[in-house]
Amino acid sequence: MEAENANATIKGWVELYSDQLYTWAYYKTSNKETAEDLVQETFFAAVNSFRKFEGKSDPKTWLHSILKNKIADYFRKSYRNSENNTVSIHEFFDDNQDWILNERPQNWETADEQHLLDNTAFSIILANCISKLPVQWNASLVLKYIEEKESVVVCQELQISPTNYWQMLHRAKLQLRKCLELNWFKK
Amino acid sequence: MKKIMQFLMLSCKKAVALIDKKAEVKLKMKEKYMLIMHTAMCDVCSAYQKQSRLIDRILHAHIDSNNEVNFPVIENKELQKQIVSKL
Repeated sequence: MEAENANATIKGWVELYSDQLYTWAYYKTSNKETAEDLVQETFFAAVNSFRKFEGKSDPKTWLHSILKNKIADYFRKSYRNSENNTVSIHEFFDDNQDWILNERPQNWETADEQHLLDNTAFSIILANCISKLPVQWNASLVLKYIEEKESVVVCQELQISPTNYWQMLHRAKLQLRKCLELNWFKK
Repeated sequence: MKKIMQFLMLSCKKAVALIDKKAEVKLKMKEKYMLIMHTAMCDVCSAYQKQSRLIDRILHAHIDSNNEVNFPVIENKELQKQIVSKL
């Protein structure tokens, strides 16, 4: 009886929330199949741990937190399964370690930061810029922000030294900054 | 004095690396001073610093699910059907 209740309730949630969860997963992973798998797994996990939910929180929030864990798992796996040596590094500096002239950061007009965050067009460009990063950089960036963990913890999970980790984030940020400048701030 | 200046001089490449390092780990005293000196003199790196911090805040809001970023919702009825049929 209880299992049937769980199933009926969760079927209702699928109709209410699956599109939102899918959209969120899609913009994190930039891959239709991956996003679909993750959302599907989220609902299966919800059925299995329905007892723990007990209507304590908002179902949407609960489902989101399950999906968030799934996405983090996905990025941990993709980090481990990818080869680092295939990355070609874009050069921003010349032999004297000075900025190459057209790589220099331009001034950005960022009058209203909140407005930027609420801007759908900007969010899509940002998601695209993140997904264009090499796999490991993308993963290390998402993992840093998605679970709000200390860098030390992420380093342990990925089995890399703190130095390797901040250097990877640094390269990712150089590239991301450039991508945002080209596609958003320069316009 | 000149020697001290040279000792504390950073290249732009190293300066921006320190800017991002600072976001993850504590800088050594010497690194801190070198970075302050460099960004005080170098407009380009100081622009990078501002933008790097802005990107941090943006990523924070963008990646964390508790902040709802307004993506246009993508409908996926197929997925809905598929999940319901498997439940």
